[in-house]
Amino acid sequence: MTSIVAVQQVKKVYGKVHEEKTVALKDVNFQVETGEFIGIMGASGSGKSTLLNILSTIDRPTSGQVLINGYDITKLRGNKLSDFRAHQIGFIFQDFNLLEDLTVEENIALPLSLQEMNPKRIKALVILISKKLSISSILKKYPAEISGGQKQRAAAARALITKPAILLGDEPTGSLDSSSARELLNTMTNLNQKDKISILLVTHDPVSASFCQRILFIKDGVIGKELRRNNLDRISFYHQILNEIESFES
Amino acid sequence: MKLKVLKANGEKMTLKLALSGLKNHLKDYFILFSGLTISAAIFYMFQTLAANPLFLKSNTYLLSIVVIFNLGTFLLAIITFAYLNYANNFLINLRSRIYAMYLMLGAKSRKIAQLIFLETIVIGLLAVLAGIVCGIILTQLISRLLIRQLDLSLIHYSPWNNQAILVTLIFFLVIFVFFALKNARKLVYTPILKLLNQEKTPVRAHKNPLLWGGEIIAGIVLLAIGYWALAHLDILNIKGIFVAIITIVSGSYFVFDSLFLAIVQNLQHRPNFALKRLHSFTLGQLNFRLRDLTKLLAMISIMFALALGAITAGIGFHRDIATITNVCSDYDFILHDPSTRELDQVNNLKLTDTSVYHYKVASNKVYWLVDDFDLKPFNYVIPNGSFNPIKYSHVTGKQMLKDKNKWLSILQSYLGDASTILPGGFLPKKEFQTKTGKEHTINLYVLKNFMAEKNQIKPLVLADNKKIKLDVNRDSTQKYNIFFVINGMLSGFEFMGLFLGIAFLAMLASCLMFKILSGANNDMHRYQILKQIGTRHQLLEYSIAQEIGTIFLLPALLGIVHVLFGLQMFKVTTLIHEPYKNLIIPIGIFLVLYAFYYLITDFIYQKKVLRK
Ligand SMILES: Nc1ncnc2c1ncn2[C@@H]1O[C@H](COP(=O)(O)OP(=O)(O)O)[C@@H](O)[C@H]1O
Ligand SMILES: [Mg+2]
Repeated sequence: MTSIVAVQQVKKVYGKVHEEKTVALKDVNFQVETGEFIGIMGASGSGKSTLLNILSTIDRPTSGQVLINGYDITKLRGNKLSDFRAHQIGFIFQDFNLLEDLTVEENIALPLSLQEMNPKRIKALVILISKKLSISSILKKYPAEISGGQKQRAAAARALITKPAILLGDEPTGSLDSSSARELLNTMTNLNQKDKISILLVTHDPVSASFCQRILFIKDGVIGKELRRNNLDRISFYHQILNEIESFES
Repeated sequence: MKLKVLKANGEKMTLKLALSGLKNHLKDYFILFSGLTISAAIFYMFQTLAANPLFLKSNTYLLSIVVIFNLGTFLLAIITFAYLNYANNFLINLRSRIYAMYLMLGAKSRKIAQLIFLETIVIGLLAVLAGIVCGIILTQLISRLLIRQLDLSLIHYSPWNNQAILVTLIFFLVIFVFFALKNARKLVYTPILKLLNQEKTPVRAHKNPLLWGGEIIAGIVLLAIGYWALAHLDILNIKGIFVAIITIVSGSYFVFDSLFLAIVQNLQHRPNFALKRLHSFTLGQLNFRLRDLTKLLAMISIMFALALGAITAGIGFHRDIATITNVCSDYDFILHDPSTRELDQVNNLKLTDTSVYHYKVASNKVYWLVDDFDLKPFNYVIPNGSFNPIKYSHVTGKQMLKDKNKWLSILQSYLGDASTILPGGFLPKKEFQTKTGKEHTINLYVLKNFMAEKNQIKPLVLADNKKIKLDVNRDSTQKYNIFFVINGMLSGFEFMGLFLGIAFLAMLASCLMFKILSGANNDMHRYQILKQIGTRHQLLEYSIAQEIGTIFLLPALLGIVHVLFGLQMFKVTTLIHEPYKNLIIPIGIFLVLYAFYYLITDFIYQKKVLRK
């Protein structure tokens, strides 16, 4: 197996020269294999969002190296960075980040429009992905007119339509009710198993984490522990996670 | 005693809050403050015109100028109010989040209301004072420029004017107190959550397609009626103005509410267009923006038309000064018995033609040498105030003899003070030479370009006026005298037109600017998302330029259409000769200034929404 993400000695310190410094990430090292569904867990303030922002190129590490699909993302600038975002990664956020003045269909199509793809092909691909995420019926609606679960599916569709190397999610179930959350996680599991999409989730929610194959625990800016699901069923894995949190957090 | 200390502490706290707000948004406040200052300066400058001796002196035309001036003040007051309204919304937008935060932290809403009241008044007062100072300086500069450029007779025109200062101060203070009360009220009565989250989530407008189509047709029909009324102002008079105002204002509103939206939505449904690059996003933005902006854009298109119309009229009047002057006489200046020194000066001018006629005055009667007219036929224009007066060209002595009395009295009018001498007759050369009496000459000159050389001939003409005791205001034989009167009348109109036009333009463009910038904080989020999904920076810049450009362009387009049809008004009332002539000049000047505002808005908006 080859690794799609390689994080090496990543450090992130917040605060400018004369300001008070916060060390959000001390020394983070890990790899994600191609086709993996991996979760990163940690208490609030442990540096999860910081890590995900670095992976998704929204933020830069103070030091260290991050390779995604062979690109050293800490070195990307300008158009190269934009193109990397457009082609290599897709992400979904807790607050959906859909464009409010575009319909669901237009939101999903946007990344492909940016690639100047033929409009006919765009239409076809939008129909395909929305079937996969069961949102075909709401394509003509505006984000304000659909539920949270539907919004997150739409966001996932927009993230996946470019066939990125990896799907990144920062608490994607964070503002969903439990049944919508479960549906989304099942869909993601499906995408991972059937379409071999690599997924990296950041969460503090054990239920979400229990859908992953492997979980990394982060505390005080370092990865402290790793847990593999192996052949465990989801419920047992869930209980294992709960136990682990108990011991890890204390 | 204790209470007093507490109160003092409270005041200090309040002041601190106010200042903290100022520091955080220094750039925004600078934009706001300079905008307010400019509007106050414009208002002040217009008020100083009221005290301009130009308007008081030329009493014959006072009435029409006063009417136009009052109309101008009225329009300027309206647009200033609209402008201040947008500027105030911009201010509220800056502050509401911060104030809501304080409210959440437990600050008393009355205290916060007091604070925003104070803040509004202080900003307003400072801006007005700065505006008046700017106004005084600008008036000084402009009046100097005008005296030189337009031959305006603005003698004793003082840029410092107590009445104008007072009117400007009162006008702005009343408005600011109004806005301060409104702001304070809004803050107290709006729920905190709404203040915190002012972002408007766009909702789909359910428009009945039939009504929609009806609205488009109604808009176009209304505009057509308005244009028709303006083109028949000669028959409809003041009624036509009222009809035009009502139909064009409502027509513009309908067009913005329906037609432009229909175009945007139509484009949205064309995959080959909409699914290219950021088009879908830009169209989506416009789709909701246009609905939000309907009223403003309709108003801007009208103001645009008024401003452009005013500038066009101003330039038209300027052109008319030369046209009317030139049409009044074929001769550019006339000298009676010029001295050799005067003749030397004449020889330095660019002359194209000279006619010299001899006459003798004997016992108070004037006798003309008729041979002179055969040698150099005479051109005469009956000045009737129109652009196409009746002309007699190349009238020879023989022709004059056929209608002797008429031509004698016409020629008599060239001799100035007619009370002492009377028409005598035409004499052939032999009789003329033997006639006793003093011989005189009258020299009529044609210049290559009167307007270009009018300043050189001025001393010659003034000396000649004195010599024959001409009343400058009544004489119509000396072209310079005609110019003097026409210029006195029309340059007032011209100045008013140019001033109002540019003032309106500055205000209307600033209205758009503030409206667009007020939304920048809400839009930032969208551009953040676009960046995250991998949109290149240039594409974002391009999309913003396109979106704001469309918002600027649409009212300008409609405004230009208004002007193209509206100029008929001047044509049918013959107020301006050839109002459509060289139209490209005012439109060009106007669009350059307007584009300047567009570029500034685009630049500031991009700075705001695309920053990291
Ligand atoms: N922009 C920032 N500036 C300063 N400190 C920050 C910033 N973002 C996060 N932090 C700090 O970094 C630490 C990690 O934050 P974050 O990554 O958001 O944690 P999590 O997502 O796990 O809750 C926290 O202590 C937080 O206060
Ligand atoms: Mg977080």
